Amino acid sequence: MISKLPWHLRLWAALLLGLLSTGALAAGNPDKPFAEKHVVLQISDPDPFKQTLVLNVAGNLIKHYGPDKVDVEIVAFGPGLRLLLAENDNSDRIDNLVNSAQVRFSACENTLAKYTQNLGHEPALNAHATHVSAGVVRIIDLIDQGYTLIKP
Amino acid sequence: MYNTRTCLAAVIAATGLAAALPTQAANWLMLQGTEPAGAAERARVWGFIQPEFQYTEGTKLEAGPFSGQDAIFNTIGPDRDASSQFNIRRARIGLRGQGFPLDSNTNYFFLVEAGNNGITKPGGGLGSLKLTDASVTFNHFDAARVRVGQFKTPGSEEGLKAIHVFDYVNFTSVTDGVLLERYIDADGSAPNDPNGPNGPVGAFRDIGIQLFQTFRRDDWEHSYAVMVGNGNGLARSDNNNEKDIYLYLSTEKIFGGKGARRQGWKGFVWYQEGDRTLTLAQGTDSTADDVEQDFERKRWGVGTTYLNGKYRAAAEYIVADGMIRNGSDGGAVVGALANNGLSRASLNVLPEDEADGWYLDFGYKIRPNIELDVRYDRFNRATDTDPAERRFDTLTLGAQYFFNKKTRFIFNYEFREAEAPNLPSSHPANQILDGMDDRISAQILAIF
Repeated sequence: MISKLPWHLRLWAALLLGLLSTGALAAGNPDKPFAEKHVVLQISDPDPFKQTLVLNVAGNLIKHYGPDKVDVEIVAFGPGLRLLLAENDNSDRIDNLVNSAQVRFSACENTLAKYTQNLGHEPALNAHATHVSAGVVRIIDLIDQGYTLIKP
Repeated sequence: MYNTRTCLAAVIAATGLAAALPTQAANWLMLQGTEPAGAAERARVWGFIQPEFQYTEGTKLEAGPFSGQDAIFNTIGPDRDASSQFNIRRARIGLRGQGFPLDSNTNYFFLVEAGNNGITKPGGGLGSLKLTDASVTFNHFDAARVRVGQFKTPGSEEGLKAIHVFDYVNFTSVTDGVLLERYIDADGSAPNDPNGPNGPVGAFRDIGIQLFQTFRRDDWEHSYAVMVGNGNGLARSDNNNEKDIYLYLSTEKIFGGKGARRQGWKGFVWYQEGDRTLTLAQGTDSTADDVEQDFERKRWGVGTTYLNGKYRAAAEYIVADGMIRNGSDGGAVVGALANNGLSRASLNVLPEDEADGWYLDFGYKIRPNIELDVRYDRFNRATDTDPAERRFDTLTLGAQYFFNKKTRFIFNYEFREAEAPNLPSSHPANQILDGMDDRISAQILAIF
């Protein structure tokens, strides 16, 4: 069957399979294929100063390495989830970090469930927040993938 | 793991498989038809400009009734007066957003074209500003969103994707041949009627109503679209009572990211069906004998797109049944007078023939701001009629340089070949097609 295909079709099919196989083996953030540093920042503190600090650290990493060379994810859980509430004062800075450097923000669903229980309704999160089942598990997974954990 | 990736990348690079990165794997139904609920602006101005330069050697026709004249395939559209030219290929400006403060579940999309192309100057005719998109989407139901107006029809990836993230300057031969529709009045058989386009090219768009939705489950996203439209092109009313049907299904494994450059692996199938009305000449000297006749036009395809980090790939197989555009008489520019002075070259269509084609497309980003592309496409035209069958093969090598996220430079070199596979090599048709030049193109794309 395959031997009946034109030679160029077989060649391109082989190359396609090669590309797909290569991509399937790729690690880290596919949005940052040229990143040389992979960093996960933890925010689990209710202090607004800490919220500002973690964003400052992300900004400084990007400034130093360049947006293409560093891959940053900020994981918020516990009281730190306040950083990712929709009405948080830092939402403009979050927008900027996402749009200019593709920084990712992960929100802990366990914490969100607790907030929902206490408030009586689910609080609105920043549109850039990605839900993860547990913030601490997300951090462990990223460390396993080679990320460096920093807790400012 | 990284060693494996490096080795495979080296093997691919060594085989000359260097390519680009941008689009692919994006959900065009959602990106073009919706806005983030409650988060979009009331009116966001946007658009893009594409100045370009294209060049062929301008080889003349080497046989046939127009021998020595310009070959249409070696001229540059839309005017077809030159074999090299600077041009403003596209210049579009539009608005999109949630313009109805009382209802954030309703959004709109509006875009006009002011560039020099088949939309504004069909067949090299008079230029004018043209409406390309004007639609309103209602997002009130979980099972189906409703989009009404003029917009891109659900179909081939090459047609459906946003043109401002297209990785090449020119479309593949099969897309240009059977999907980028030219609307004409007759089949081109009348000897002195150029049978030029009677309006803008279809630009993969129609006026109608579409039901669509996307369902997300973990990292998988499944989408569908069903559309009914006029099937008569841009910014004008229908010319018959038959409506076109468009069907589309896709499923995608999402790796990450968002928007037009979302990373993922998508598979899709699509089907389109409609009728086209032609006026066929029944006699040679009296229009009184002409009759209108409807012909079925069917298109379908299956394909996949892939984007992961530095790597990009796409493949699609396209089939066409009915209304097969069949080039121009003798390969001449439409309207050209034959050397014997007795007839003019017309744009032709085979209303009941078939065609098919496919493309394979790869990209590799060698640096954050440089990507290399390679694409191979095949177009088998008029496969149901041996003497009329033509085969087009094009290998396109490309490079893109990103000045920033919204401005890039695209360079393409197209190795082009064509033949009449069922005719001897000495046949005038093959002598004409032997004169098909390679094509060089360079384009700037600036999005605002």
